[in-house]
Amino acid sequence: MEYFFLLLFTGLAAVLVGAGLLTSYLVAPHRPNPLKNSPYECGEPTIGQSWVQFNVGYYLFGLLFLVFDVEAAFLYPWAVVFRQVGLTGLIEMGLFLLVLIVGLVYAWRKGALEWV
Amino acid sequence: MMLICIVLIPLLAGVIAWAIGRQNPGAARWVCLLACAIDLVILLTLWNNQAAMAAFAAGGPWLMQVNVPWVPALGISFHLALDGLSLLMLILSAFLGIVSVGCSWTEIKERVGFFHFNLMWVLAGIMGVFLAMDLFLFYCFWELMLVPMYFLIVIWGHENRIYAAVKFFIFTQFSGLLMLLAILALYFLHGHATGTYTFDYDLLLGTKLGSGAAKWIMLGFFAAFAVKLPAFPVHNWLPDAHTEAPTAGSVILAGLLLKTGAYGLMRFVVPLFPQAAIDFTPVAMTLAVIGIIYGAVLSFAQTDLKRLVAYSSVSHMGFVLLGVFAWNRIALQGAVMQMICHGLGTGALFMMVGAIQERIHTRNIEKMGGFWEVAPRMGAIAMFFAMASLGLPGIGNFIAEFLVLLGSYQANATMTSIASLGLVLGSIYSLWIVQRVFHGARENQAKLPDFARREIALFASLIIALVGLGFFPQPIFKTADPALSKLQQLAVAGQGAVQVSEAKHSGGNS
Amino acid sequence: MTLLDLVALLPLIILTAAATGIVLLMAVCRCHRTTALFSMAGLGLAVISLPFANSMAPNRAVTPLLMLDTYSFFYMGVMFVSSFVIAALAYAYFEKQDGRREEFYVLLLTATLGAAFLSASSHFVSLFMGLETLSISLYAMVAYTRDRRDSVEAAFKYLVLAAASAAFMVFGMALVYAEAGTMEFAKIAAARGALEQGNHLVLLAGCAMMVVGIGFKLALVPFHLWTPDVYEGAPAPVTAFVATVSKGGMFALLLRYFVLIDVHQYPSLMFLFTAIAVLSMFFGNLLALLQDNIKRILAYSSIANLGYVMIAFLASGHMAVPAGALYIAAYFITTLGAMGVISVMSTKERDADSFADYRGLFWRAPWIAAVFTAMLLSLAGIPLTAGFIGKFYVLAAGEESSRWIGIAALVVSSSIGLYYYLRIVLTMCESAEDEAPVSRPSWTEATVLTGLAAALLFVGVYPGPLIHAAETLVASIL
Repeated sequence: MEYFFLLLFTGLAAVLVGAGLLTSYLVAPHRPNPLKNSPYECGEPTIGQSWVQFNVGYYLFGLLFLVFDVEAAFLYPWAVVFRQVGLTGLIEMGLFLLVLIVGLVYAWRKGALEWV
Repeated sequence: MMLICIVLIPLLAGVIAWAIGRQNPGAARWVCLLACAIDLVILLTLWNNQAAMAAFAAGGPWLMQVNVPWVPALGISFHLALDGLSLLMLILSAFLGIVSVGCSWTEIKERVGFFHFNLMWVLAGIMGVFLAMDLFLFYCFWELMLVPMYFLIVIWGHENRIYAAVKFFIFTQFSGLLMLLAILALYFLHGHATGTYTFDYDLLLGTKLGSGAAKWIMLGFFAAFAVKLPAFPVHNWLPDAHTEAPTAGSVILAGLLLKTGAYGLMRFVVPLFPQAAIDFTPVAMTLAVIGIIYGAVLSFAQTDLKRLVAYSSVSHMGFVLLGVFAWNRIALQGAVMQMICHGLGTGALFMMVGAIQERIHTRNIEKMGGFWEVAPRMGAIAMFFAMASLGLPGIGNFIAEFLVLLGSYQANATMTSIASLGLVLGSIYSLWIVQRVFHGARENQAKLPDFARREIALFASLIIALVGLGFFPQPIFKTADPALSKLQQLAVAGQGAVQVSEAKHSGGNS
Repeated sequence: MTLLDLVALLPLIILTAAATGIVLLMAVCRCHRTTALFSMAGLGLAVISLPFANSMAPNRAVTPLLMLDTYSFFYMGVMFVSSFVIAALAYAYFEKQDGRREEFYVLLLTATLGAAFLSASSHFVSLFMGLETLSISLYAMVAYTRDRRDSVEAAFKYLVLAAASAAFMVFGMALVYAEAGTMEFAKIAAARGALEQGNHLVLLAGCAMMVVGIGFKLALVPFHLWTPDVYEGAPAPVTAFVATVSKGGMFALLLRYFVLIDVHQYPSLMFLFTAIAVLSMFFGNLLALLQDNIKRILAYSSIANLGYVMIAFLASGHMAVPAGALYIAAYFITTLGAMGVISVMSTKERDADSFADYRGLFWRAPWIAAVFTAMLLSLAGIPLTAGFIGKFYVLAAGEESSRWIGIAALVVSSSIGLYYYLRIVLTMCESAEDEAPVSRPSWTEATVLTGLAAALLFVGVYPGPLIHAAETLVASIL
């Protein structure tokens, strides 16, 4: 029986979304012009195609950034409960950071931080 | 300890032969010859030991045995034991070992070391089969002898060797797996009933089985042995394997490998499952008779000389099957005798074909004829073995077939009468060989040197053995008898009271 | 977390430390030999720590996630030793190659860690963590020879299919969780009784979806489609890893899970697994007949082999757990040996996976050919090899609990399977005067192959100690 409500809920969600889209399609005015159709790029007119190759360095930086970004997200809750988890928590966080630092050192030595 | 040595000597000789074969092929041959000779001497000494034989006949369980725990957790032990039956088979193995090393002396020129390695390991596997009294160990040896045999056929065989070898391997392996299932089933049923989980033959004897279970387990064993024997519907790996194998391989196949099947029937099938075996007797005898007639007819139809001899094996081994399932003293004696004589006689015929092929490079009978005039010694020897094959009195085969027929006549007169037709057919194809190959006009102008001293010596030893068996079969009977009567008692003990009186009746007639 | 917990975790900690250490080592000095030795030392230490951990902290549940008992330590031992062997093989293999080779060992260690985690897992979360650690490392390992088209293709296939199967698995876990209200195996097993009355359709659906994920990792029919391509495309040492360690962890887990929830209570699951086992045996063996590439043959043969070992799962008797353990140990030795031979025979350009590479090997390199033959005979289950002991035990376990369908399938399909093993042996027996002589294997390769052959024969001839070890597992798991 409980699954029935789940099903009902899912159906309702789909109907709601569909109804919104349909209403806007029916009610909204359609007056396209070139400026409206062009992709938005910080208010500047776009230059060239959007199919350009990015320097692979972006991805390396992106990856490294992601790792440390998530690490920071992990540090906040740890800081909140720091007193409760005590020394064990400190050691464990130290180990966690150590592993990340080793990774950073590796990336550094491999030249991932140099912009080519 | 002596028993371990018997198996170990060929194993070691094989390794040595492989190691030195590359530098010195001649030495490899001599090492193997020596190893077989040593084995033969050991076995003959044992045979000659009157005191031990007498003690065994008086009722000791085994002539000799070793029993060391191997995998105690599963009740597996390294149990080798010897009785008269095994002793005879071992002597045959060692003797044919010498013969097969001898007959490949000039035939095998490539990879001599590895050839002899395989030859010796096949031999050791076969000897292990004749000795093993632990079913797990038995299965190990049983499978182990296949692998080197496979190599012998694949590497040194003739044109169609790959097909033949793979067929041989898959047939035997499949039936072997059925036997393994049967062994395991027996193991568990025995374990559940008695609490001791064991693979030991002595302990498994007399396991009480329900008739349904006994039937299925017996069939598992029978499948493996029937393929090896070979019995009628599962014989068709044999002509291919025999034909394509090198001469020494054919000698071992015909002389020894087929005997392991017959030995297995005597040692395991009937004693372990007496009642199921008796129920199965009509079927087994029918298969035997079909095999005898069918093999003989087919061998008459062959143009390939080696194939002809191979089919004659099917026919001859049918007598063994008949004898085993007649399960009385005379028939069993006959079966044992047939095993030995067929081993020697057919081995010799294969050597003969090998010698001809080595000389004229064909096995096609159509391309032969008139060989007697250029090679009279060869002709005379071939004549002798053809006579042996058709069962001429004075040669061992006659005694064997006569006893089998005599014994099984008591068990089943109809079947026996039909089987005796096989003798007539046998004389047709045996004489056919002599007629087509040695008489008539010479078709093939290839050079045909007569037998040299080495070959004469080999054939002479076989002739002496066969004639000896023909005139003095008593030592064989004396050796086999205690073992056979023990097996019979075991079977009788396992049957109901009705069967006991029957068995006594047939025993009294002998 | 107490000190004893740490002791129990010691093997895993050592492995993690070794992986991290290698990363640091590579930052300091790039030397293939040092890296390989370092990783082997790490694995060696982890193996040595196993008996220590087992005796100091026996059968310990560390957090609800991990159950570090003798059972898991046994599988870890087998897997660590395999990884050790693979590291040695990989060293010799990558010595022939150009490019950066050191990173491979990090991946090897993390993948092994994932597999070890799986074998000790007692909770859906640790199951998934282990599975992903293993899989993600494997994606990169399969593509490690990235200048080879096949490798990249194989890695891509593996990535897509593994991700899809992992998704199924997570969904299955969610369904089981929804019904049972817990993710711990033991509690799911306990909850089963309460569920008996209600409809356990959802629970069954959840289990069935998890079967997809498990079947994928174990390469069982019908989830086997990636196997031949990945086996063929991956560099030989990685193929060895995929065939052994990567399956071992999941295998250990599955057996534990099934014993715990007592799968024999569910006829539908039993039917499902019997069908999977029988199909795997037949598909594996029949499709292997059609292959012309030795790695692909071994891939199909591994499918069939996992099918055989499923009989051990389905058997309920006391022999089931030791049969599984023995079979896996024997299968590992054999597969490592066979893949080791391929790895040794491989050159810089390509892996030696065609029949032509092995033509007449008996005369060109008798020793390698003999080892390969022994491995193939072991796969075929010929006595006096480890493979026979495994098959024997599986048959015994199956017969004890009368799983006749599985046994019949095993007997028939393994007889069919003989043909392709013999075909490889035949190729090695052919005479080959025109083939180039094989370059001498390095001493690392020679040692590894000799060691594996010795292990194969030792287990085959004297299986007592291994059987004893496997029998003790029963006590630990139940």
